[in-house]
Amino acid sequence: MRVLIQLRPSPDLVAAVADPTMVATTSDVSDGLPGVVLDHSFTPVAVPRPVPASPSGDPLSLNQPLVYSMAPDDASVVLRGEVSDDEVNIRMSLLPGRRDVVAVYADPVIETSLTCGGNPPVGDWHDVERLLRVSELLAEGLDGSGVTLAVTDTGINAAHVARRLGRGMTIDQDRSWTPSGVAGSPGEFAVDHGSMCAFDALIAAPQASLIDIPVLLSERPGGSALDGLLSDAVAAFAHLRTVLDAQPAATRSLVVTNSWGSFSPRWDFAPGHPGNYSDNPAHPFNLIVGSLAEAGADLLFAAGNCGRDCPDGRCAYPDRPISGANSHPKVLSVGGVDITGERVGYSSQGPGRLTERKPDICAYTHFAGSRAFGEESPDSGTSAACPVAAGLVAAIRTQWPAARLSPGQLRTLLRRSADDRGELGYDYDYGYGIVDVAGIIGALRSRADRAA
Amino acid sequence: MDLALRKLGLTKQDVDLGYGLIPLDPDKGSYGMRVTPEAAAKLAAEGHDFEGPWSDPRIEPFGPPR
Repeated sequence: MRVLIQLRPSPDLVAAVADPTMVATTSDVSDGLPGVVLDHSFTPVAVPRPVPASPSGDPLSLNQPLVYSMAPDDASVVLRGEVSDDEVNIRMSLLPGRRDVVAVYADPVIETSLTCGGNPPVGDWHDVERLLRVSELLAEGLDGSGVTLAVTDTGINAAHVARRLGRGMTIDQDRSWTPSGVAGSPGEFAVDHGSMCAFDALIAAPQASLIDIPVLLSERPGGSALDGLLSDAVAAFAHLRTVLDAQPAATRSLVVTNSWGSFSPRWDFAPGHPGNYSDNPAHPFNLIVGSLAEAGADLLFAAGNCGRDCPDGRCAYPDRPISGANSHPKVLSVGGVDITGERVGYSSQGPGRLTERKPDICAYTHFAGSRAFGEESPDSGTSAACPVAAGLVAAIRTQWPAARLSPGQLRTLLRRSADDRGELGYDYDYGYGIVDVAGIIGALRSRADRAA
Repeated sequence: MDLALRKLGLTKQDVDLGYGLIPLDPDKGSYGMRVTPEAAAKLAAEGHDFEGPWSDPRIEPFGPPR
């Protein structure tokens, strides 16, 4: 927990801190406090003492006319630090009175209002291209060439995607797959969510070959036009296993982006029931996910749009909305940030149901991109963040097939190189942080040098 | 599929033939099929060699946020 520590050191030191012509550091004010990691990048701040304006005033009351004294004998100094989450209560009670400490206060994160559904786009896809350092990826030869990237969604309209990108794209017709009863050909589906995902995946991996899997178009009584059943995803992943197994082991790579999930426990058995999906690693879909990842596929799932700040209206889990395969230990669960690096308010927070540390990482969303939903509508949701990250993974796979860098190693690389946000270290808002291409490239170079 | 139906004592009306028999884990010889609620209850009552029934929840796109 981040804290502010108020101290009353010697008057000389208070005077030095209060003097704008002098530079006092945290080390000048304190040589350390037990159980507190002091933030030495924070410049100490002098805080005035409220003094009653009337000589007969109550020295303990703030509800009277006051003057604020910066006199060295009155003022105090504030430092910034961090206390371990499991020691907050004991440190807050023991520190005051020791080593000049007057009081310890919480230092909550203050935020501008977060981006929510319905807000206009924040930046455009060229900003995302810049933030993902695509030019550097291309210079490294990491453009997705020869890499297969499956988009399990509502189907892709390749003409729309190519038009919006301003360049050609490739749909792998032979390895695409359509659920039983769904009409249409790969790459020729109506412009919708799946086209957005394809567009966003191609930002970082322009040469990747896309497999079109319109799993959310399956038709069944009572279903809407854009939803499916988990059993359709089971069948789709079984197909993807055959795709993966058919590749030569030495060059095997398959990236699968999944911008969907279950909003509600209503259609599931309750947690604890042997047939449950959301919390049950033994459910067949969770098994097939683990099996596909083990066989060499990189699986990315959107964390979901049930963030506490502005959740999607369909969110019905009372807590822990990252459920089922979206929280599987062998997938990357992707949260969303806008191009300023702030978490979008709808991005689901952890802990996850199958694995606590979800989301894993964050990627960019809520930018003007594919225009799949109209000229003014952003590519949004963790639905956009997931393929943005998947495109980056596909770019890496150009020269780093699974035989050279296993899916588990790649997940670790993305987590370790991520740009840490929010709380220090892992947190349930940002996971390990925002994907950081500079860190990834550096780590890959080091790995290549070690292997040489 | 025919072999699976015979082994489980089911008819073609009990299952989704369009969905078919899906290999879940080919290394372990594990397969899945979509059955009617009545067939699931029958399988459970007769104690056949199978696991489940498993929930088959609705899945939806995570965007745009509504």
